[in-house]
Amino acid sequence: MSKPEDLSVIGRRQPRLDGFEKVSGRSVFTDDIVLPGMLHGRILRSPHARARIIRIDVSKARALPGVKAVVSNVDAPDMLFSEKQPLLAKGFVHYVGEEVAAVAATDPLIAEAALDLIEVEYEVLPAVTSLRRAQQLDAPQLHEWAAGNVALTHEKDFGDPDAAFAASDLVITDEFRSPVQHNTLAELHVALADFTNPDKLHVWTPTQGAPMYQMALAKAFGLETSQVRIVYGNVGGAFTGRGRAKPHHFIAALLSRVAGKPVKIKATGDEEFIMFRGSGETQYRFRTGVTRDGKIRALEADVTFDAGAHAEWAMILWLPAPYLNWLYKVDAVRYRGRFVYTSTVPKGSHHGGIFGRLSAGWMQHLNHVAEELGMDPAEFHRKNAIDPGHHALDGSDFASCGLKECIDRVVERSGWKAKYGKLPPYRGIGIGIGAQASGGKNAANDTSAAMIRVADDGVVTLYTGIPDMGQGSHTVMAMITAEVLGVEPEDIRIVGGDSDITPFDWGAFSQRGTFTTGNAVKLAAEDARAQLAGIVGPLLGVAATDLKFAHRRVWVRGETPDATGRSFSFREAIGKAFNGVQGLAIMGRGSFNSPRPSGSLAYSFGAQVAEVEVDPESGAVKVIKVTAAHDLGRALNPLAVEGQLDGQVFSGMSQVLYEECRMDGGQILNPSRLEYKLPRTYELPEVEYILVETIDPYGPFGAKEVGEGPIVVTMAAVANAVANAVGEMLPQIPMTPWRLLRVIRHRRNHGLAPAD
Amino acid sequence: MKKGFITLHVNGDAHEVLVSSQHTLLDVLRGKLKLMGTKEGCTTGSCGVCTVNNGRGEAVLSCLTPALEWADQSITTIEGLEKNGRLAPIQQAFVEYHAVQCGFCTPGVIMSAQAVLNLTPAPTEEDINDGLAGVICRCTGHIKVKEAIRHVGEFGPTP
Repeated sequence: MSKPEDLSVIGRRQPRLDGFEKVSGRSVFTDDIVLPGMLHGRILRSPHARARIIRIDVSKARALPGVKAVVSNVDAPDMLFSEKQPLLAKGFVHYVGEEVAAVAATDPLIAEAALDLIEVEYEVLPAVTSLRRAQQLDAPQLHEWAAGNVALTHEKDFGDPDAAFAASDLVITDEFRSPVQHNTLAELHVALADFTNPDKLHVWTPTQGAPMYQMALAKAFGLETSQVRIVYGNVGGAFTGRGRAKPHHFIAALLSRVAGKPVKIKATGDEEFIMFRGSGETQYRFRTGVTRDGKIRALEADVTFDAGAHAEWAMILWLPAPYLNWLYKVDAVRYRGRFVYTSTVPKGSHHGGIFGRLSAGWMQHLNHVAEELGMDPAEFHRKNAIDPGHHALDGSDFASCGLKECIDRVVERSGWKAKYGKLPPYRGIGIGIGAQASGGKNAANDTSAAMIRVADDGVVTLYTGIPDMGQGSHTVMAMITAEVLGVEPEDIRIVGGDSDITPFDWGAFSQRGTFTTGNAVKLAAEDARAQLAGIVGPLLGVAATDLKFAHRRVWVRGETPDATGRSFSFREAIGKAFNGVQGLAIMGRGSFNSPRPSGSLAYSFGAQVAEVEVDPESGAVKVIKVTAAHDLGRALNPLAVEGQLDGQVFSGMSQVLYEECRMDGGQILNPSRLEYKLPRTYELPEVEYILVETIDPYGPFGAKEVGEGPIVVTMAAVANAVANAVGEMLPQIPMTPWRLLRVIRHRRNHGLAPAD
Repeated sequence: MKKGFITLHVNGDAHEVLVSSQHTLLDVLRGKLKLMGTKEGCTTGSCGVCTVNNGRGEAVLSCLTPALEWADQSITTIEGLEKNGRLAPIQQAFVEYHAVQCGFCTPGVIMSAQAVLNLTPAPTEEDINDGLAGVICRCTGHIKVKEAIRHVGEFGPTP
């Protein structure tokens, strides 16, 4: 492990290396790509939440001049999108927006006109358009294999929960709900497919990782994975919304194969809101058993997820079980989860994964527990918080853990003790804590690989498959490479975003980029450095291991990197290797996969305090300040870390206060960014960040994730602050003005204080 | 359908283009002039990524305005901010302050910011909030965006 003083690049406030392209309008996104002969695809979607398809007639659409392909289920009757889900509706539609047919034409307006010419006759069937309705005894059964509309269940006990609850002095239960929420990516969903050669499918599209797209498309079209090429140069945001290929990727490929031309499908603004696969409705109940002196004995969570019409994202069902083990020293944990079908678009998750929405309730619940005990919530969290070296009931080990330091720092910096319980009416303060895995290790193979080529002119090229969705992964990978090779980040060229070229990398989910890909890149750079050192060491009269690489120079450790010592410039050193008798072309390789069978090698921790003011007349909430402390191992690029924190504070407060797809009969009522509210500039709070660097032994240069942990904590802190301001827990997010006014008026009418 | 040739002055260059009443200014910029720096988002005026500046330096949503209305008008897009191969101060500040992440909304955010600076060279917090209220950036939460604009407002247009 390097000491901070040994590092010359890591820890620097490094602006993005692609900043020039992005601010000058030069960055190419998928919609900017136009291929020769390219057609425009449009999708005909179901207007009904549940219906039988009596008849589809595409003949008039096919006859329209300019139309080059029309497809419906008869053209791909056996093609599945997910396990039990046909790509194009087969006999039935199960949600508003389901893909029924599609058209490719020479002009987008012709494609649009052709959709109007497709005749579909439906017999409307009773639908189930809310999670609550799906669980009622008289609800229609949506799929023959799912009695009670339950798609899947997951049950997990750690320790002996019954005994732990029995041994508790106090057991408290609370229930919460969260709504349908949309990822609202800046770059709308888009795919450009070229399947004119049946041996190779090329797809240009923003993604969080190519392999899952390659595998899914290969399976559907009967290809080998390598016959599918995914190109993803610039990715306009992801926020968990681009984890898996969506139907439009398959449909673009199908249309391209039929038409023999490249086909681009791009969502329209309102279509984006019906084709998305963000968060579904969620109902959750937490139960906690504590001793009188505030020790948590048992934690229980019972969660019901709205799967939508198909269970596409079963993984979110089992993720909460381990999560419950990562914050507190407890005797037992119980998790009960179920995935329930509704007649709505299949759901996945939103920014913060499932943990954000759970945390907004869980942390209000634990705040409630603390208050019942007469304890300060910050002290309650701290008393139960885990320490470094903790071995959790789910098998997780925490080599580094700055949780208590994070709590202490936010308590101090926010003035918590002077404010908690002492603020004027309708002013509130709340605390939340959280943990997150650096790489989920959701399968045995959770691999990232990297290659480094050093050209004879000294230019270093890094080949990486990790997408840069804005988080700055390419810049930080260049920093890691530069640190190891002793050059500058600007000296590194990144080749990424093309599955035909870049080595295997699952991509940017489960907070694995910095940790997993970062480790792979570091290994590749160390491999390249060792090759170079093997040549240069003997030339300088020392062993390869006695060299120091920094500031674009290579020198004998202990000497000075100038004419007084034995040294080469980096470029001279490369020249010695390349032009010497060995003629060595340096190519480093690295591959990293956590050796653990499951669970992460490292976990990040955080604590945040939010202060809010609620207007009792309008119900509007102003977030005044967010103080955030995060144990991220080491901040490789503090500038980018702040950017990640900014976005997560913004998105976290947004989900708690604003974001909700208002649904009626399976239709979304607010399918635009004006009506689906996000914070605007004047709603932003003051932010203060405290970076806690615990230098994790497994992370690259000690780093852990910081891409999803913070938003979970923001949601908890803001939720608790609003509850504190109005005087009671708020069981439903978002905490919109009308929901708050109902609480405020109810409390006024019953003579209850606004805040206690 | 109304149709005809119009002359557009984009980033100082005159372009004669055939447009119909179905075309928006955005369609012309991206589709006909291949100025792909301006992005197409929601196309309903709610996300702001298509923002350009008109001849008075004001922010305009190019997705909402019919191309025919722009005959003989001047427009500045993100590609027109550079002078002599150098980034404009606001562009440079966006890089240095990390006011750009995924970059998809960035052209629209920068053109909104440039409009603020065009109209109020030393903008107040309220000027910045008002000028940026029409564009959404989930990545940055606008926090470093505002820092970048404040920097240019404070140190003036000379780089």
